[in-house]
Amino acid sequence: MIVIKNLSARMGNFSIEDVSLDIRKGEYFVVLGPTGSGKTVLLECIAGLNHASGGEIWISGRNVTKRTPEEREASYVPQDYVLFPFLSVRGNVEFGMKVKNYPRDEINLKLNEVADLLGIKNLINRSPQTLSGGEKQRVALARALVIESELLLLDEPLSALDPKTREGVEAELKNVHLKTGTTTIHVTHNFEEAITLADRIGVMHEGKIIQTGTPEEIFRKPESEFVAKFVGAENLFKGTSTISEGISVIDISGVNNIKIYSSTQKEGNVRVTIPPEDILLSREKLMSSARNNFHGKIIEISIKGPLIKVLVDASIKLTVLVTKRSFEESNLNINSDVYVSFKASEVHVF
Amino acid sequence: MLKGVPGERIFKAATLTTLVFIVLFFVSILISVMLYTSPGAVLSLLFSPEIIFAIKLSLLTATITAVISIAIGIPAAYAISRTEFKGKSVVDTILDLPIVISPIALGTALLVFFNTPIGSAIEEHGIKFVFVVAGIILAQFTVVSALCIRLMKSTFDSTDPRYEDVARTLGCSKFQAFFKVTLPLSRNGLIAAGILTWARAVGEFGATVTLAGATAMKTETLPIAIFLSLATADVEKAMTVILILVVIAMIALIAVRKFAGRGWSM
Repeated sequence: MIVIKNLSARMGNFSIEDVSLDIRKGEYFVVLGPTGSGKTVLLECIAGLNHASGGEIWISGRNVTKRTPEEREASYVPQDYVLFPFLSVRGNVEFGMKVKNYPRDEINLKLNEVADLLGIKNLINRSPQTLSGGEKQRVALARALVIESELLLLDEPLSALDPKTREGVEAELKNVHLKTGTTTIHVTHNFEEAITLADRIGVMHEGKIIQTGTPEEIFRKPESEFVAKFVGAENLFKGTSTISEGISVIDISGVNNIKIYSSTQKEGNVRVTIPPEDILLSREKLMSSARNNFHGKIIEISIKGPLIKVLVDASIKLTVLVTKRSFEESNLNINSDVYVSFKASEVHVF
Repeated sequence: MLKGVPGERIFKAATLTTLVFIVLFFVSILISVMLYTSPGAVLSLLFSPEIIFAIKLSLLTATITAVISIAIGIPAAYAISRTEFKGKSVVDTILDLPIVISPIALGTALLVFFNTPIGSAIEEHGIKFVFVVAGIILAQFTVVSALCIRLMKSTFDSTDPRYEDVARTLGCSKFQAFFKVTLPLSRNGLIAAGILTWARAVGEFGATVTLAGATAMKTETLPIAIFLSLATADVEKAMTVILILVVIAMIALIAVRKFAGRGWSM
């Protein structure tokens, strides 16, 4: 669908170098990287707003490297929305359809559809200046989606929003992608956002894509120290959560009868991380208040700075960090039978 | 020096006094003009054929000048605002020259130009400019077009190019993006620039008198009418024309106020 071959470009102080990506049709692809890594340069190159100094961009089998933005069929939603202030919300959403000479009936129909999809029906006659951040983002999305471009380009769509609105718009993005199946490239520096939304992630660092893979692959098998540090997450699991008595009970996918309890309340399909330093390791079953207790075997031991990193197979593989002293005192070895426990409050669910 | 509240008060008093002084200076000039004339004399002169002619000629020439300046100013200002090229600062300086140079110098330069072979050829086979109405328009245009470009450039400078970027990704060609997005976005600034250009053209004298001459009832714009009145020591008439120019300027400035500084804030 989108094939990027050895793309290089420069914009002010930011640049990208030799970027190659292969994004499938209908995929939600997140480019994840810290500020200044060149994500926006990449996005603007794909949109045709920035010229590549080398390499090629192909969209649906067409080489668009030398094509102007309007010939590329890639709708771009900038970080700060850039809604046309001289048009109403309706005028903004209709803009692309009018440019493309859609008949009036079709414009009305599609306007209604997209307004329903994004819940902006009641805003339709408002002026963009009167909208909140979340509302602006929804309108900008509607404006980009309604012309049914082959590609949707989102530049940090959630970063300017307050946490509550952010959650709403995030759900909206997920829902929109589910319903429209538009191939989406979403640029962000926030890894939680990336793993919540992405089918696949490309990690960007200093103008280069250094790893591409599913969220699981990126988090479980970081191929570089940068990715490992940047994503910073160990013990990442996917599961289905149900709330009972104020506690989330998460059924971990892919393994039988493993339930993790978390005091973060969230239902449905979730991801879980447990910081390895918050897990207790012992030879005997501990009588503690911790809700999560598992029995397993040590399968790997390694030194990590002043700490020892122990990998325990308890149907799910848990990484545990313990101090050298406690490790030596408890006389642990590969294949030792151990008990691991951690508190529900230490389980991060998102 | 002068710390605390007393310092603040003295500072405020000093700056405000200066402001009041300068405003009084201009107001007293205007009052002196009004005191010199009587309403009756003004009214009778106002409808004299010569003044009516001068008003009509001034409004006509200034309007044509403003329209040409705007038509050239919009694309030129856009180019200098949005395009990066070598020698841009040279171009910038050349465009500043007509604003700074004395209009009589520009008028003289134009007159000299029409004495060169190319200039005389234009005079003989194209449009005649020297000592005719077309010369007024050319003289005004030479003085005000650069100002027009300057004003419009600052309007385009303050219009975020990313609006156009987004429009492009929504299917607009470069032309469509300009007409559908940049133009509406900069509308108020461009209108204000146009009005100021027009007002400046109405007041143009130095280049006009040099190129088009000061012939009563022929190339007699309002400023030239003042010049001719003074030459014949007809102070009453000069004062009447000054009042007309003040009224035109006031109307123009009120209109500019309505448009200028009313950009789009997001």
